Amino acid sequence: MMKRLMIAAFAATIGLVASACGGSSEKLYLFNWIYYIPEDVIEDFSKETGIQVIVDSYASNEEMYNKIVGGGDGYDIVVPSGDYVSIMIAEGLLEPIDTSRLANYGNLDPAAVARIGFDPGNRYSVPFMMAAAGVSVNRTKVSGYEHSWSVFDRSDLGGRMTMLDDMREVLGAALKSLGYSVNDPDPAHIEEARRVVERWKPNLVKFDAESFAKSFASGEFWVVQGYAENVFIEYPEARRAEVDFFFPKEGMPMYMDSFCVLRGAKNVERAYAFIDYMLRPDVAARVADYLMLPSPNVPARALMKVEPNYDFDDLARGEFKEDLGREALKLYNDAWRRIRVGN
Amino acid sequence: MRREPGGLYAAPSTIWLTVFFLAPLAIIVAYSFLTPGVRGGVEWKPTLDAYRAIANPTFAKVTLNTILVAIGATAITLLIALPCGYYMARSERQTLLLMLVMIPFWTNFLIRIYAWIAILGNEGFLNDILLALGLVDESVQFLYNRGAVMLVLVYTYLPYAILPLYSTIDKFDFSLLEAARDLGASKLGAITRVLLPNVKGGILTAFLFTFIPIFGAYAVPLLVGGTESYMLGNLIADELTKSRDWPLASAISLVITLVTTIGVLLLLRANGASTLGGAREAKAEPEPAFGGAR
Repeated sequence: MMKRLMIAAFAATIGLVASACGGSSEKLYLFNWIYYIPEDVIEDFSKETGIQVIVDSYASNEEMYNKIVGGGDGYDIVVPSGDYVSIMIAEGLLEPIDTSRLANYGNLDPAAVARIGFDPGNRYSVPFMMAAAGVSVNRTKVSGYEHSWSVFDRSDLGGRMTMLDDMREVLGAALKSLGYSVNDPDPAHIEEARRVVERWKPNLVKFDAESFAKSFASGEFWVVQGYAENVFIEYPEARRAEVDFFFPKEGMPMYMDSFCVLRGAKNVERAYAFIDYMLRPDVAARVADYLMLPSPNVPARALMKVEPNYDFDDLARGEFKEDLGREALKLYNDAWRRIRVGN
Repeated sequence: MRREPGGLYAAPSTIWLTVFFLAPLAIIVAYSFLTPGVRGGVEWKPTLDAYRAIANPTFAKVTLNTILVAIGATAITLLIALPCGYYMARSERQTLLLMLVMIPFWTNFLIRIYAWIAILGNEGFLNDILLALGLVDESVQFLYNRGAVMLVLVYTYLPYAILPLYSTIDKFDFSLLEAARDLGASKLGAITRVLLPNVKGGILTAFLFTFIPIFGAYAVPLLVGGTESYMLGNLIADELTKSRDWPLASAISLVITLVTTIGVLLLLRANGASTLGGAREAKAEPEPAFGGAR
């Protein structure tokens, strides 16, 4: 999900406001990505069930994790990405979930669920949304390119291309371009990937996860790696056809955000009710419409009113980012540091 | 005999500094000698790994880049600020000019950086003008390089240099310049040998107020810098939030703090007895608005 922005403070304000109004005793504490579930969806849940949802938001997995580990208890539901689901399972932070108690669990795309490696069998997590960063090209400025990571080898586009300031996304892209897994722990492969990024680097104007979408929309950058939702929220609606958003044919890193119940949660029953509500096709469709993303909820797809930024099938080439573990993580960090600092 | 209540008066600032400066500094020192946790934080196993990592040439490169940018940007800032301060001190409309220097502070620092992006971008105002005038055939890449970082840093910290210089020069007795001329000094000689030595304290203050924050710059290189504009501030932030090597981030911060402190002490000493004099000269310095995002 959008790892970004200094809007967390704003989110916290919303959380406060939300918690200030309404006084029903039935409460559920949700710790969620910022701008992930539209407010009216949550309001409707409260109307239907009488459960008041108190929302607090975060802008990155790290932020959420540090807050939970740092003693930020009191939340019932969190929505980590896959790698953090496995981390939190290993650290004993999550309560097992009995998916048979979720009437709508069967709506989830079995093909997507089968690919989950971070929580095989979904014993602790219920998939919510999946997506990936891709490449956006300004068609009016660039032509004659393949839907491949090799677009970043184009030195004629030097000064007009950016990649994310994100270790996993950039090294993942390089690993995929070499035909390796985005979670490859082999030092030789990581080194190879580093060299690929070093080869791309002279053609990149910068590594940017903050303002690339704005600059892409203004015509400043022509080829950017990033999340479709970031790009299209900035791009003028009328000129959307100018944007070619694609996932490279070699594949790409991908994430799945899932609902998890925190160990020691006080409102487990209400958490089940909320997760089941979110799995309902009409609700899942509203969320997907809002995010303009394809839904992993099969019956929801037919109910969507907005054309998503890409098809669910496009994600077939993606590979979930998994927790790397201490050793591989260190290799990735070292490679990324060398790339960023430049030798 | 009545007791001197000075200690009591100083208590709030002493407590403030202890809690919000010394205590965090102590944490940074402690963390820099510990083992990084896998996902951030520290494990309580002492090690010198962080300091070994700093010895790595990669860090030397970032440090060198940071020093170059900081020295360059500070020098340019001072060269622009000196004549500005001089002009303001001699002007009849000091209040108006002071206002003009302060006005940029009314706008958020980040918004002003984005304004520079709008001006200097490939599709920015400056390139639009150059293209319209036919001076260039295609957009000039002004942004995303070291030059852009220095330009925006100079812009950002110019007021911090102008204000102390102005307040020092304002207290300078300009009849001394006339006396120097009367005694045969050239115009330039009078300025370099009479004015400048007398406003040394202001120059030193201006230097410290610009060099130190520029040395720790984070947002400017992040937003207008390119792939090669990485500075120590960015390195610390990335180690803390992305690589999540807190001990390394702490060690780098500590080295910067030490280098800065030693540098300041050396400068003050080089400035000799006039240190305190300098401080006295510049006593009307406006308090800079530190504490905001840099």
